[in-house]
Amino acid sequence: MAGLADRFEQFVKKLPETKIMKFVAGRILVPIWASRTPVKPQPGGPHYSVQSGDNVQRMMNLIMPLKDKSAVGRAEAALAIAQNKDEIYAGLDNVGTVHFARFVIVGENICMFSVYDGDFTNYIRDFIATIGCVFDAVVKLVEGGDAVIPSETHVEKFIDWVHAHDLYQVSDQATDLFRDIEAVNGETAITRDLRLLPRDLILQLHVNPNVSLGSGYRAYPGYSVAEVRKQFGIGW
Amino acid sequence: MDDTPSQNCGAQSPSAKNTASPDPSPSQLVDAIIEDFPDHRPGTRPIHTIGIGVGGYFEASDIARNYCRAEHFGGQRVDVSVRFSNGSGSPVQHDGWNDVRGMATRFHLKNEAATDLIAMTLNGFFVRTTREFIDFTTAARQQPVKKETPWQKIWDMLQLKQPLRDPYPGQKESGDAGTLEYANAHPFAQLAVFQAGSIGAPVSYVRAAYHAVHTFIVTGEDGVRRPVRFAWKPVAGVCNTDPDAPPEDDYLQGELRERLARWPARFLLMMTIGESGDALDDPTVPWPAKRVRVVMGTLILDTVPADQQAAAEHISFNPWRLVDGIEPSNDPILLARRDAYEDSRKRRGGTACPFNRSGT
Repeated sequence: MAGLADRFEQFVKKLPETKIMKFVAGRILVPIWASRTPVKPQPGGPHYSVQSGDNVQRMMNLIMPLKDKSAVGRAEAALAIAQNKDEIYAGLDNVGTVHFARFVIVGENICMFSVYDGDFTNYIRDFIATIGCVFDAVVKLVEGGDAVIPSETHVEKFIDWVHAHDLYQVSDQATDLFRDIEAVNGETAITRDLRLLPRDLILQLHVNPNVSLGSGYRAYPGYSVAEVRKQFGIGW
Repeated sequence: MDDTPSQNCGAQSPSAKNTASPDPSPSQLVDAIIEDFPDHRPGTRPIHTIGIGVGGYFEASDIARNYCRAEHFGGQRVDVSVRFSNGSGSPVQHDGWNDVRGMATRFHLKNEAATDLIAMTLNGFFVRTTREFIDFTTAARQQPVKKETPWQKIWDMLQLKQPLRDPYPGQKESGDAGTLEYANAHPFAQLAVFQAGSIGAPVSYVRAAYHAVHTFIVTGEDGVRRPVRFAWKPVAGVCNTDPDAPPEDDYLQGELRERLARWPARFLLMMTIGESGDALDDPTVPWPAKRVRVVMGTLILDTVPADQQAAAEHISFNPWRLVDGIEPSNDPILLARRDAYEDSRKRRGGTACPFNRSGT
């Protein structure tokens, strides 16, 4: 009997790695728990902060599903970026608070990843003012984009749309997920079972499939674009 | 616990200033730790009992003195004594068990002066005050380990809940259940308890990052005072053992001896500068990763002294052994450590502060 019990114990220990358990967890347990304990998706973008160090090198991670999901649609998106290089560089130079910006096609999505200083709405507002036409060229290829272009005449709507597509940034400290959940639910001083932290993360990823892990890792933390340019002697 | 009186021997601790306070005494704090380890052996440290002393030197970076005028950041080579340790207060060695590790560093300065930097592998502490510390250590008392049955593990899986870790071979008691219960009721303790629960075991004492956790106030050559936190980052990188492999009880000291016989080990001393609004006096809250970090210097470890009684057992550290250019913050836990470490030092007969040989 002891041998049988040991074998059963070993079987259970390895159970999470088995295909059947992965299937059961992903296809059955997650939907059940999502139904029993509904989770609100966390808002995208950096956490609000008034501290100066938190307001530099902020990340924007936009994932925008293309209307045309074929290779032709992806090529259209690539072309929209390629045709607007001058506009993009002019915008970057004018705005002056962007560390970098990247456009990436991932599957059926066009993505824009950027790192910027300062307030999110001001960042988008500045870009609309300087390169709204580039945004328009990209956004018109994206699902739901028609409603917010031309961006210059739909500024607030456009900002809200971008914010809605910006990925939730999972906190650097694991248990801060509890605080994020409490904030979204309007709860204060709630205590949670640490052993349920994995479930909280799983259910958040269920409603929020694309997230940014942490607030970004920096070789030169806490410096703004202006400080970097000044130190390199290439700007103000 | 590494312990010794402060070089700042004339300074009063907050408990001494506020005699009406019901805060626990240093002796009660040490007793509380000892009670968490029923097999504690008198004459040894109440926590971080198993350790090894090593020697080497520290070289400050070129810009360190701009931020801190303390002697060891002046640029000259400074001899150091370092004690690496396992966090447990048990005299029984279990290197491979899940445990916080310690790194206490003594910088030997001119004229027999010295300053200490005490760090651990957690980047935050469990509690914010000494009263919370008493409650936490009470919760952390050893209890018989309850191994989950396979059926309980299956039930955990069905709930998408983290199963409890199986006890190690031979492990009869643990404080894990109590600390988990405490953390579930006290959000400030959750991060440290969560991290401590899965911190694992390093493949080497010099392949772990160590955090001094508390805020200190440093003064630069220009007189500017800044709140900072220190951390040691291993040049060899951070690497843990395989958590699924059977744990070895005795390998860390031997590994370190073999490693240093071949080649020195190095750590970078990183100093993070806090901002207004950061948790300056709360060691349970790590600062955001976005804060400016400054490389203050490189630690080179190259020897394992033969006399380990002096290098690892009698040597006594104290986070309040500070020199001009570094001051403690008002962190209540940091404040309490001064006298608690001294109390502990006296109990085990550790070497007294060279500036306070009487041990008073």
